[in-house]
Amino acid sequence: MTIDTQHPLAADYLKRLRRAARRLPPGRRRELVAGIEAHLAEALHPWATDPEARDVLDRLGPPEAIVGAAQPSAVAKRAKPRGTKEWLAVALLLFGGFFAGFGWLVGVILLWSSRAWTLREKCIGTLLVPGGLATPFVILGTASRGRSCTRIGDGAQHCTGATSSSDITWLVVVAILVLASIGSAMYLSRRARTAS
Amino acid sequence: MRWPRGERYGFELVRALSDAGGLVMTEGTLYPLLARLRRDGAVETTWRESPSGPPRRYYSLAPAGSELLGAFTSEWARFRTSVDAMLETRAAR
Repeated sequence: MTIDTQHPLAADYLKRLRRAARRLPPGRRRELVAGIEAHLAEALHPWATDPEARDVLDRLGPPEAIVGAAQPSAVAKRAKPRGTKEWLAVALLLFGGFFAGFGWLVGVILLWSSRAWTLREKCIGTLLVPGGLATPFVILGTASRGRSCTRIGDGAQHCTGATSSSDITWLVVVAILVLASIGSAMYLSRRARTAS
Repeated sequence: MRWPRGERYGFELVRALSDAGGLVMTEGTLYPLLARLRRDGAVETTWRESPSGPPRRYYSLAPAGSELLGAFTSEWARFRTSVDAMLETRAAR
């Protein structure tokens, strides 16, 4: 059937249908357009009046709706898994500090260059905690270096330098930093949106 | 409506469903449905020349489609009985 033997409204309708059907896989597109073309050939004479043509086209429904029905079901379309880049960013923010500090910086770059997080989430990811898990370990190392312990008697230790009250303070700080790092990484992995 | 048995071409099937009343809002969306039934092996299709216009695609039930229709028929009867029973209970109150 050529365009010449079609009612002008049917020809317009088919043009709209072909345009809408571009998003369909080629096989489905061909079958759908051929089906509707055949339907119009049966239902509509080229010399039909405009109201008759409109009635036939109204019964068919909007081309976009027909194409929508021909698309693979939304349920079948699986969400794209979160990208490798996002997983790497979270891992490096958490553990990257152990690699001479560079790893964490790479994590920050990946975090800021990804579209999976909002500005607020990126700020939280960067500030909680700079250096990631490495930071509390460095603090722990620095705090214990200021102390010297000598073993006396039956294995008991006598330590000089830091007082016991500041020991507790450091321990609390370290614990908070460890929890904040892990919490921040969990927050980022939960909030990461599917890359579009 | 008695469901047409044997071979029917697309336009004929679509108009039969559409004329059954209340079942079809947009005839065009039935074509993707027919295509899906064909892909799933529920119907078989053959092309035949038409006395007027382009060739017609004729649809007939495949064995898998007959099975599906049998299962649907009994499931539908069960569903209809349940709904009728619920509506009658409601009307009796």
